[in-house]
Amino acid sequence: MFAFIAKRARNAVLLLFLASVLCFALVVSAPGNVAILIAELRTPTATKADIAKVEEELGLNKPLLERYGFWLNGAIHGDFGISYKTGEAVGASLKSRLAVTATLVAGGAVVAFLLSLFVGFVGALWAHRAPDVVTRGSALLGASTPSFFVGALLVYAFSVTWHVFPTFGFAGPVSWVLPWLTLGFLPAAVLSRVVRVGFEEAMAKPYVLTAMSKGLSRTSILVRDAIPNIAPTYLNALGTQIGTMVVGAVVVEPLFAWQGIGDLFLTGVRFRDFMVVQACLLVFITFFIILNVVVDICITLTDPRLRLQRS
Amino acid sequence: MQPVRPLLKAIGAFPRSAVFTICAFVLLGLLAPYIAPHDPNAQDLLVAGQGPTLAHPFGVDHLGRDTLSRLIVAARTSLVGVCLVLVCAHAIGIAIGTIAGYRRGWTDELLMRIVDVGQAIPSLIVSLAVIGIAGVSYWNMILALALAWWPGSARISRAVAVNTMNKPHMEALRVLGASPVRIYFVHLLPTTIGAVLVYATADAGAVALAIATLSFLGLGIQPPTPEWGQMLVDALPYLESDPRQVILPGLTLTLAVIGFNILGEAVALTEFRSR
Repeated sequence: MFAFIAKRARNAVLLLFLASVLCFALVVSAPGNVAILIAELRTPTATKADIAKVEEELGLNKPLLERYGFWLNGAIHGDFGISYKTGEAVGASLKSRLAVTATLVAGGAVVAFLLSLFVGFVGALWAHRAPDVVTRGSALLGASTPSFFVGALLVYAFSVTWHVFPTFGFAGPVSWVLPWLTLGFLPAAVLSRVVRVGFEEAMAKPYVLTAMSKGLSRTSILVRDAIPNIAPTYLNALGTQIGTMVVGAVVVEPLFAWQGIGDLFLTGVRFRDFMVVQACLLVFITFFIILNVVVDICITLTDPRLRLQRS
Repeated sequence: MQPVRPLLKAIGAFPRSAVFTICAFVLLGLLAPYIAPHDPNAQDLLVAGQGPTLAHPFGVDHLGRDTLSRLIVAARTSLVGVCLVLVCAHAIGIAIGTIAGYRRGWTDELLMRIVDVGQAIPSLIVSLAVIGIAGVSYWNMILALALAWWPGSARISRAVAVNTMNKPHMEALRVLGASPVRIYFVHLLPTTIGAVLVYATADAGAVALAIATLSFLGLGIQPPTPEWGQMLVDALPYLESDPRQVILPGLTLTLAVIGFNILGEAVALTEFRSR
């Protein structure tokens, strides 16, 4: 088991290195001179001497390899340089916005988890009857609806018409509900299909027939025998969907005026603020790589066959 | 004609509902300028925000533009965008994939590792990063989405190319003395393009959604060109007084995506069966 984790961790570090090279290359290859941009940010009437001073200060006149080392060293310690647009330290704004995005994705994941299990269970318990047809239809619809449209509909229903939740903002649990639902809706639809199909397959296995002949109820077979069987598949899908939700934060945060990392990334993209784009890209990719490793370890832990094979 | 044949065969096996939706979408896109009842950008502030009337069956938006016409013309915007992205992405993907599949060895190893990294990053993040570096414009959006979509195409192209290169007629061609250029351009490339065209149709829904999402974020299609995502975000401030202008583009977009998604599932299933 430890050997397996070590191997996965080594691969992850290798991928992280590649990702950092990619992020660095992206900004180096960007059109326009970074030193001129920063010098003009400080004094609009920057002269050649000012630009040279900025180059000296940020080490922009050094060879590429040295610059990469300098940048990577800073990034590891949380220093991502300063934003060309606002002049703020990118690392500090990332840190202050982390909590918002974490709240959003964690809430969305809980919504997706609960909703998908509920819908999947309903479908499995009343297989091929009305509740199953309705839940499966809404799952197909949900998986194809763009999240910004889901958000707009939720705002219209719950804020404009019924005045239950605020339209936007990040002020206490009441204002968190709609963004959570918006973000969790699509993953819930996808995951509920995983649960539904998984149960269908699990319930067709011979051991279910044995359990039924012993007089166990359908519900207790679902809970005791089918759940451990679908757990690895479900966890895998849940991991993918958490990744999707982090990407979804880029769309949902501006919709509800939340100042998270997704919003920061978007602002960076809009104003071509390379340092912000670079830092956010690195944070996103790092998150995906770590998520992949965690999901892999979780799957191995929940699946006895894989546990045996990989240890 | 050779590359198109597998696509035509596949369309015959697709679910009717999906084919119907896609055909409606394509027809709408092709004929948009002829069937749109009004100029999609003609403003009439006197009727702004008005509900459905005989002249404007879906109402008008906050600038008094006819919603039905804008929805129809948006189908064209979307269709052109999707086609451009798919052509660019598959051009890069097929080139990389067939070279990897033809050369094998370390070229294959290197190219496929690049594809791995490309596929590990979600497409929206890739396209946002590219737009962040290159700037906001129509062609940058097409470029960004093509750069986000090519790795998938390269992987499929490589699989098809490897499969084709292992067939006996390739061996025969080599024995007959056909040059590598001839083998690559006359025999390998057309076969690969044919097989990949089928997969391209499965990608169309995701690309259409990505274009709408980028436009929603203000980074894709710019106003006043009608596009579903951009129409939706345009009407969002008026959600309270005129929810119709938000719901209609959203519904149209969802319908198109559902059509493509059903198609995509059918493609995945048939390809899976034929293996």
